Amino acid sequence: MSRPRLDPRALRLARQVEGGGKRPRFALKADPPALHSRRRDPRLLRMRALVPGARRPRYDWKRDAASGAPSAVPAVDPVPANEPIRVESPAFWVLAVLDQSTGALDETDLQLLSVARRLAGDEGGVVALALADPVLATAGADRLAVWPASAVDPAAAEARAATVQALVESVKPRHVLCSDDPVAGGDIARRLAAKAGLRLVSAVNSLTADGRIGRRAGDETWLQPAPALMTIMPGSFAADEQALREARPLELPPIAFEAARLANIGLLPVDPESLPLDETDFIASAGNGVTDFAAFAEAAAALGATRAGSRVVCDAGLLPRDRQVGASGTVVTARCYLALGIAGAPQHLQGITGVRHVIAVNTDLHAEMIKRADLSIIADAQAVMPALARLARQRQEKP
Amino acid sequence: MTGLAIVVLLSLGRHPATGRPRRNPDDARALATALALAATRSGSRVLAVHAGDPRAPVLRDYLGQGLDELTVLDMPSGSDPLPSLREHLVALSPDLLLTGQRAENGEASGLLPYLLAEALGMTLVPGVVGLDLQGDQGRFTQALPRGRRRQIEARLPLAATIPAGTAGLPLPSFAAARRGRIVSLPALASPDPHLVAIERQPWRQLPRPQPRRLKGSAIDRLKSMTGGGEAKGRLLVDPDPETAAAQILDRLGEIGLIRASHQSVTSRDTDGRTER
Ligand SMILES: Cc1cc2nc3c(=O)[nH]c(=O)nc-3n(C[C@H](O)[C@H](O)[C@H](O)COP(=O)(O)OP(=O)(O)OC[C@H]3O[C@@H](n4cnc5c(N)ncnc54)[C@H](O)[C@@H]3O)c2cc1C
Repeated sequence: MSRPRLDPRALRLARQVEGGGKRPRFALKADPPALHSRRRDPRLLRMRALVPGARRPRYDWKRDAASGAPSAVPAVDPVPANEPIRVESPAFWVLAVLDQSTGALDETDLQLLSVARRLAGDEGGVVALALADPVLATAGADRLAVWPASAVDPAAAEARAATVQALVESVKPRHVLCSDDPVAGGDIARRLAAKAGLRLVSAVNSLTADGRIGRRAGDETWLQPAPALMTIMPGSFAADEQALREARPLELPPIAFEAARLANIGLLPVDPESLPLDETDFIASAGNGVTDFAAFAEAAAALGATRAGSRVVCDAGLLPRDRQVGASGTVVTARCYLALGIAGAPQHLQGITGVRHVIAVNTDLHAEMIKRADLSIIADAQAVMPALARLARQRQEKP
Repeated sequence: MTGLAIVVLLSLGRHPATGRPRRNPDDARALATALALAATRSGSRVLAVHAGDPRAPVLRDYLGQGLDELTVLDMPSGSDPLPSLREHLVALSPDLLLTGQRAENGEASGLLPYLLAEALGMTLVPGVVGLDLQGDQGRFTQALPRGRRRQIEARLPLAATIPAGTAGLPLPSFAAARRGRIVSLPALASPDPHLVAIERQPWRQLPRPQPRRLKGSAIDRLKSMTGGGEAKGRLLVDPDPETAAAQILDRLGEIGLIRASHQSVTSRDTDGRTER
């Protein structure tokens, strides 16, 4: 017989719990079977937490972790350390040239950084060429090169192209990514391609699992290895959630740049009402909670916002159909959406998924739109709209 | 005022839904712009150039826009048009080169105008929806995203890329299409070496991209799709209208949509209860 004999008396002794008082106490289920080690066993946890020696049973629930004993609790996610990921000398760099056409990081910039991050993977590092912005560290940038004074103006395409060229020569990135906007990133990419003799692959809209890039050409998809210079189709990639990175400032090399031949005269004023909904930047939208449409029009005009409405409003003929926001209307990408008396039905919220800032005015504290908004005001829209118009006009007169 | 030599590059378009050949809308708009500009300056010439097959029926539609003559550099489709176009244009040495913003066939990288402008020593202005020439000084209106318009000044010689815009294109007139002449010139055709390494698959609509999350459950992903879910913002319950308006304006100022105000008194002392 090779199997050791069970000694019941020794087992009994091993299971005896200390501190039981007069009568001996035993924990009958001493060790959990290894197979089910991930299962939570409350009795076992309780026993482990029991403080020995005390007269009345006392439990110290932190003891287990402190003593380093293997815990029966399934491992919880470690608290994400607030330490940024540091990349010292990566295998290669990916350069992301950001537009920041509104002066801040917008959705297309974040999408571009996500693609750069995906191309960089774990071995590579991402250099962002941008206006300084604290958000960049949480958007996946390891290094940050800031546009020089001559290239801060987004219209200074020649200076921007020369900056990118100088940076490309000093950092030698494996890939350079620009936005596809033909008057911003796309322009810079083409100038660079023409100057440096690079091949440009434009309007990239997919990244395959094996690291190739795809783009549409007529009724075909063209797949090829990721090239040195490409422009990224907006909306084809999502802005991924990124771990914190350094965004360490990177010194720019000297830039060889002759005098600019393009002179920026400035922006022309545009009537917001003349813009289609999917193009405008700022929308004031009315729902069923708005009854005073004259005040609504006045408020929108004072704010310089494009008017829109929910389906109820458009069905009632209070606004034309092309002003309807939502699943069966227009999907908007404005920077700010001011929702007046809109409940926030799913079909309506689908139309504003791409909107960064939502401001809601509603009488109902529990409306879905209130949850979606980053500034919510529980008030009667009919009272807020005239006040808004008045105050906006006042501030315009004496800034 | 002397006349201008305006070169317009015309390509064959492709209807995005049916795949049928058509005028490239960008190029048609560039041609219309060139013809309108030439009409305002006496002695100006519009020199339209196409690189490809001179027998393509669509070329007649361009002539129908009021063009008298179209030069075609004869080459098989799929060959690189740059060398012969560059040679042809250097000989013409135009004051103004107008092209569409992007081709609808082939690689469509929009790079050709940039390469030609570089070869001809021209200043390039992209995305032009309006232009006004005074002497050799040009003032251009550029279309920016979100409906904004920017004005740019530059001197001749200039190249401009022109988007089709949303306004309808000029309809070709049948008589003008019959009258116009197509002049075919032999051109050297070199196959494009870069296009060989590309794998081609039929196009299919890609699903809407979903952001990768660092962590989170299925319900989090669902919420992230609609943007709904837990509340995250600032909440004012029953403020008086003035306070509410001041808060909204301050937020709009922060976002940068209206000029931020420095003397907002009401916004600081919010007498509405603030929760969360
Ligand atoms: C197939 C389908 C497609 C649809 N597509 C769309 C679409 O594309 N777009 C769309 O918008 N809808 C769409 N809908 C309709 C959608 O489901 C909702 O019915 C609609 O969005 C509700 O509009 P509302 O929020 O303006 O109105 P309501 O649901 O009536 O909400 C009114 C809100 O105003 C508030 N309110 C009332 N009085 C005041 C006041 N004095 N001051 C301030 N707030 C006040 C209320 O508390 C309430 O929250 C679709 C529906 C279906 C079935």
